[in-house]
Amino acid sequence: MLAVTETPLAAPAPVGDGNLVLDLLTGLRPESVPLWAVMATSALIAVGLAVALISLIAMFSTWMERKVAGHIQCRYGPMHVGWHGWLQPIADGVKLLLKEDIIPKGADKVLFVLSPAIVLASLLGAMAALALSPNFFFADIDLGVFFILAMTSTTTIGVVMAGWASNSKWSLYGSMREAAQVIAYEVPLGISLMVPLIVAGTFNLREASAAQGGWYGMHWFVFQNPFMLPAFLLFFTAVLAETKRAPFDLPESESELVSGFLTEYSGIRWSFFFMEEYAAMFLYSAVGAFFFFGGFESPFTWAVAQMAPHTIDLGETIGTLKLLGEGSLLHNLVAVATIVVKAFAGVFLMMWVRWSLPRIRIDQVMTLGYKYLTPLSMVCVLGAALFELAWIRFFGGAS
Amino acid sequence: MNATAKYAKNVWDGLKSSLVGMQITGKYLLQKPITVQYPLERLPIPNRYRGIHYLEQEKCINCLACARACPIDCIEMDAVRHGKELEWVSFTLDYQKCMFCELCVYPCPKDCIHMGTEFAFVSYDRSEFKHDLLSFKGMAREAKIRMLEAEEKKKRKEAAKAAGQEVADEPESDADAEAES
Repeated sequence: MLAVTETPLAAPAPVGDGNLVLDLLTGLRPESVPLWAVMATSALIAVGLAVALISLIAMFSTWMERKVAGHIQCRYGPMHVGWHGWLQPIADGVKLLLKEDIIPKGADKVLFVLSPAIVLASLLGAMAALALSPNFFFADIDLGVFFILAMTSTTTIGVVMAGWASNSKWSLYGSMREAAQVIAYEVPLGISLMVPLIVAGTFNLREASAAQGGWYGMHWFVFQNPFMLPAFLLFFTAVLAETKRAPFDLPESESELVSGFLTEYSGIRWSFFFMEEYAAMFLYSAVGAFFFFGGFESPFTWAVAQMAPHTIDLGETIGTLKLLGEGSLLHNLVAVATIVVKAFAGVFLMMWVRWSLPRIRIDQVMTLGYKYLTPLSMVCVLGAALFELAWIRFFGGAS
Repeated sequence: MNATAKYAKNVWDGLKSSLVGMQITGKYLLQKPITVQYPLERLPIPNRYRGIHYLEQEKCINCLACARACPIDCIEMDAVRHGKELEWVSFTLDYQKCMFCELCVYPCPKDCIHMGTEFAFVSYDRSEFKHDLLSFKGMAREAKIRMLEAEEKKKRKEAAKAAGQEVADEPESDADAEAES
């Protein structure tokens, strides 16, 4: 949680040491307040930040989706609320908050209320592992990608629960399709992500990013192995299915199943599912950026890291603050900007695909998942591993 | 074709067709939108479009030709005649009935009723669809002046006539000159 650490990247910071919020609160705390209360407050602040991040991402993405959809169809999209409609998501949010919260008569009330919470909470958990810059992150997890994959897979439980609890045939069809296709795409998703993991040698997002530094971008993993590009295509296809985006939006196929598992939801509960969808798109695009396209590393990040270090003193409670140079405030801000731009480029690509390609049938999803994505991603893993071995054998050292 | 080649061809076809589709939508994405921001800007409307009527009230002579031509009797007009001039009371067109057939335009002897290009005509109340085409009620200023002048002339003429009857020997050149002017 917003930790500004001075420890080297390889070793994770001990709890509280170098954690900006926790340090600040500990410094300000009177003797009577116990340490666990300070830690709980600091954790609450981190959760609040994560929720705000998800909401902001969802707001910007909905606006972007409508603009991209509009311009692909030679329309303008929203234009009236604010400049080019940029305040439209706020207007939509107010509308969704004020809408009547309907729970159908025959629905299983507990599961119906619980499923949007499960969906959003699992995504919040996954968000915790996302590093925004070398020193701004919520939790530094060594098995970061593994944790993200595990947490986002949990959303499927929420979707299936929503379909079952709604007591509607459309919802149930939607969640049956989700349950069917989840097995088809989760396997290639995990396996295709193995290829960059072989090259990176780490599950940690920050370490993977740090391994791709340099000013010209040729250190990005996607250029380091001939099997990287096909692996990225497979990963991208699997992510489209994972985030329930077209052409794999079968759980919510609005032309056949009214609105799939969302049919009976309205108001704020409905918007939870959509916040999850857009935040998951952002999260997976960020993961793709970390493991294929350089993470925080860009020519700008590199240039800032080369600057001469400059620090200022901010008193005893906070300590010194680095302004320029590697690991400094400016370096972190540029890194955040880089990863956000890269992630939204991925989100844009997903939107482009959605408004270009038609939805495919459930049996075609199965065919694609089992007969094409899974074997091809296995071939990629084998090829990448052999290439790395050969490189070490003939040239010495990793590629 | 053996199974492996078919498999490879399927992969290639799927990838290629996706890329072709995205190329097409990408082209449209970079194009300027063809829609317009309707209330703020409007597409040009052809001159012969049959929209809401407009009336050149100064020309109209209250002959009722348009009202008679109307197949559904939606035109009503009322005016009081003062000699040659008209004092307008009403000229209404009921757009709940009107079917925009343009039959009212052709019989007009003065060519003063036209169909305009305005098409957006909505209302919260049915009564508002009974549209008044008059731009002013009563008489036009010029018509009023003309009427007063005509009345004055008439009076003078009558006065002259009376004088002429009294002064029989006076020639009528005065009255003639006045009539000419």
